[in-house]
Amino acid sequence: MPNPVMQFQILSSQPDAAATFYRDLFDWQVSQDNALGYREIKTGSDEGIQGGIWPSPPNVPNFTQLFIAIDDIDAKAAAAQAKGAKILIPPTTLPDGGAVAILLDPFGMSFALLRRPA
Amino acid sequence: MSASAFSQFLKREFDRRRDVNLRFSLRAYATLLDTDHATISQILRGARKVPILHLRRWASTLGLTKEAASVYFAAEQTQEQSRRERLFREWSTEGLALLEDPAHWHIIRLSRQPDFQADSRWIAAQANLTIDSVNMAFSRLLRLKLIHAPGPNRWIDQTGLESLTEQSFYQLALTRIRPQLKKDPQCPTL
Repeated sequence: MPNPVMQFQILSSQPDAAATFYRDLFDWQVSQDNALGYREIKTGSDEGIQGGIWPSPPNVPNFTQLFIAIDDIDAKAAAAQAKGAKILIPPTTLPDGGAVAILLDPFGMSFALLRRPA
Repeated sequence: MSASAFSQFLKREFDRRRDVNLRFSLRAYATLLDTDHATISQILRGARKVPILHLRRWASTLGLTKEAASVYFAAEQTQEQSRRERLFREWSTEGLALLEDPAHWHIIRLSRQPDFQADSRWIAAQANLTIDSVNMAFSRLLRLKLIHAPGPNRWIDQTGLESLTEQSFYQLALTRIRPQLKKDPQCPTL
């Protein structure tokens, strides 16, 4: 199956300030009305992808991750690991029934695998 | 493990000798350097660090001047120091985050309650925390495999502690960080 990029995620040491900045600059909608209190970003356009903001770990510069859609998250995480990626956060079920795993590619960049809810 | 400057020099010298004489073997190179085949093979593959005690002798054998050997020696020392600093920095950052943010403990403690809700907002309200603090702690607990989310609205404590106390939790959580460092072949013995 194809593996499209489904969303972006901004990791910020100041998530509230980041949400305000992007909301005010681009008229994005930011909502935390979900079980994780996740700052979901709706750009207001059907073009492009939507996103979100997550608090970053300490002493880490702010960065952006891409969430890539996959079918079998366990298999794809294992395949990535076999190619030299490191699993940072193992496959974890989300409140909507989907699942996410965070990996570090062999070159030091993190990315996410996203299994969409059934 | 990233290859050091001197191990790359060793590789270039080996390749140069093989360009001149295709029959020049790794064993011959090891003999030239007065070391064993396995050691030089591991170094050239990047699987082993250059033994710092041998560096000056090998440099001399391969025709480097004392000044050039000193530069490579300093580079090896600097790389080793940087590696140790990075490991200690990662260890202390993770450790301090665990020790100084009670959210980690509260998530595990609350997860064992029958009325637990896998909802960062609920946890934050129960423990008088911010949602961001809960989510950062949740991410760290997942990373350390101290919690697992196998289904929607299900967070399962993975500590395995029969008697869960704040002290026993922190003791376990902090040891989970150190093994991650110990698996790194570059981790110094503490």
